[in-house]
Amino acid sequence: MKHVKSLVLAAFAVLLSVSYVLPATQASAVSSSALSIAPKKNYVIEPGKSVQDTVTISNLDQSAPLNLTLRVIDFSFTGNGGTPKLFMDADTPQTTWSLRSYLKIPQTVTVEPGKTKQVDLNVAIPKGHGAGSYYSAIVYSSGSGQGGNIGLNASGVTLVFVNIPGKVKEDLQFTHLGAYDRSAQGDLSGYHYFNTQSPDTIAYTLKNNGNVVEAPAGNITLRDIFGRTTTINELNPSDSLALIGQERTFMTCIKLKPEDVKLGNTTTKSTTCDTSGLWPGYYSVSADLFYGQNGNLTQEVTKVGGFWYLPWWFIAVTIVVLGVAGFYGYRTYNKLRNKLYGPRVAKTKSARRK
Amino acid sequence: MERMRHLLFWLHTFFHSWRYICTEEVVALLLALFVFMMPVSATTRFETRGLFMQTTEPGATTSYTVTLKFMSPEQVGSLDMLFCNDPIPYMPCAVPTGLDVSHATLTSQSGETGFSIHSQTQNHIIISRTPTAPIFPSESSFTFSGIINPTDTTQAFSIRMKSLTSTDGTGPLVDFGSVRGQVETGIMIQTQVPPMLVFCAAQHVDDNCTGTDETYYRDMGTLSPNDTLTAQSQMAVGTNASQGFVVTANGPPMAAGTSVINSPILPTESMPGTNQFGINLVENTIPAIGGNPEGTWANAIPSADYGIPNKYKFVSGDVVAYSPNVSLMRKFTVSYILNSSKDLRAGVYTTTITLIASGRF
Repeated sequence: MKHVKSLVLAAFAVLLSVSYVLPATQASAVSSSALSIAPKKNYVIEPGKSVQDTVTISNLDQSAPLNLTLRVIDFSFTGNGGTPKLFMDADTPQTTWSLRSYLKIPQTVTVEPGKTKQVDLNVAIPKGHGAGSYYSAIVYSSGSGQGGNIGLNASGVTLVFVNIPGKVKEDLQFTHLGAYDRSAQGDLSGYHYFNTQSPDTIAYTLKNNGNVVEAPAGNITLRDIFGRTTTINELNPSDSLALIGQERTFMTCIKLKPEDVKLGNTTTKSTTCDTSGLWPGYYSVSADLFYGQNGNLTQEVTKVGGFWYLPWWFIAVTIVVLGVAGFYGYRTYNKLRNKLYGPRVAKTKSARRK
Repeated sequence: MERMRHLLFWLHTFFHSWRYICTEEVVALLLALFVFMMPVSATTRFETRGLFMQTTEPGATTSYTVTLKFMSPEQVGSLDMLFCNDPIPYMPCAVPTGLDVSHATLTSQSGETGFSIHSQTQNHIIISRTPTAPIFPSESSFTFSGIINPTDTTQAFSIRMKSLTSTDGTGPLVDFGSVRGQVETGIMIQTQVPPMLVFCAAQHVDDNCTGTDETYYRDMGTLSPNDTLTAQSQMAVGTNASQGFVVTANGPPMAAGTSVINSPILPTESMPGTNQFGINLVENTIPAIGGNPEGTWANAIPSADYGIPNKYKFVSGDVVAYSPNVSLMRKFTVSYILNSSKDLRAGVYTTTITLIASGRF
């Protein structure tokens, strides 16, 4: 009996020491942070009606389950581009375009390794709700990193847009139009009047003063100094949106390079720009844009702009040509003048005094 | 030579005499006449243009109500409506996919009335009446039933309208203008396969997010005013959405209780001996840490402020990496540096960085 008691005590001591030696995180179950979600959802819902949909969440990790916490937050915009500004703080007041009260999703989801799960999503718009655009975001947060100095969390976001049909306030104001440097990411500093590199992108900026998100249609025409025109019909190849209150820069290619891209089982259209092939010189740009929700007035906004494309080699050649032309022009002028009025006579000191 | 001199003299005297005939007042009068006389024959745009589609479901048979205001006092004998993707009248007309107005009937009209369908094709309707001058300004509406909606939800379509004096849609134009419409899936569940956003983050991740080392924390060691503590993690991200993606880094500053190590708000070099916590997403030599983005999709890049070697920054909510359009998987290495001054209060300094991947709009 005494022998058994000592054995139990020894086993307990070993167990206790092992639990001290191993890090605390080893005890917790490992979780995946590799997820695949839909980045955007769009719905049209009439007041008094609802949508029953699902969001698809895939766990790409083949060995660990994906434990997610889901919540709905509001978002706005960052600058003039398409970057959402997420209001992560739970205490943030609802925006006027918030869907938080109408969008219902489960709070937690677990997806087994390598599997896909359909999660219910419900959007119910109350009767008598005003027309316009409403939007919020679903945040999927994976397991929290605990321990050490730096913990790491990975989250994905689905942007949810709901359009409630009816009479809405629509007001787009044109603010900028011209050649654009895409790396500016929508910022107004990306517009360049003088370009030493061949521009491949034309951008236009619209201020949305209405209560609906807008995506205009229409076209842009480029005209060079010889009157040759290039028409851009795909004004919004990325299907970008101007959010409520946003001054949004839309970008389009002078020459679009269509490309099909496959990710998983889906194929989508890539919208990269091809070399524009513009000749050096001045280009006038005119835009004619249309917008208007169903049942509302179609409105038209126009703007004319322009830009110079002057590559360095062209500037150098122009300087040389102008120099040569000036030199020979001056010589010709002198020759002509001499023939008409006779050679110039240098004035002597005495003549100048007179 | 003498002849050339005579020619110059003659030109000078000729234009000098014109100075008294072509005065500034005469030029101004001609310009004013030009301005006021031009609009008499010019066409104007319809105002208060609108389109109401009874249903916007793709491919549905429905009715369209077109509203417009005739602006010119000239007689109108026909109204030409051409359905195209592009609203601009002088551009080539591409027929909206799936649209068919060849069996449409004019079921109601208000304002300017007396019209009936003169001719119609798949994307073209001409209505006509006995030429009559509109009651100015006349707001009118025309409802057509039996129109089959386009099927392409990704593209708006337009109706290019023009009024004409003739009764058959030919001859001189009176007014013109376009209305815009778009089909979209209604309250039914969307059938279109949505784009995907793929994201993973850990201390080490596989290229396509097929696996991670499932380590989400890092002990950086003991703080010292002489050394820079470092750590790194990885993330892989990709999307087939045409708008691209953004990844933001969010989190509080590194702190131990009330003692906080602040982060530079501008890209700054690592400065041992000062309190500093920063990150970047490129390969560095001072200290030697990190790595450049890996993968063939070069349009996915670190943001400007987080893409400078040997310069670090951290502002919660900043975009650290993005792609402006479709970008399949690309892997980024996030480097963390931590410096401390000799006066820093003792304690265990921690923070949690949340990397959030979202689509763009």
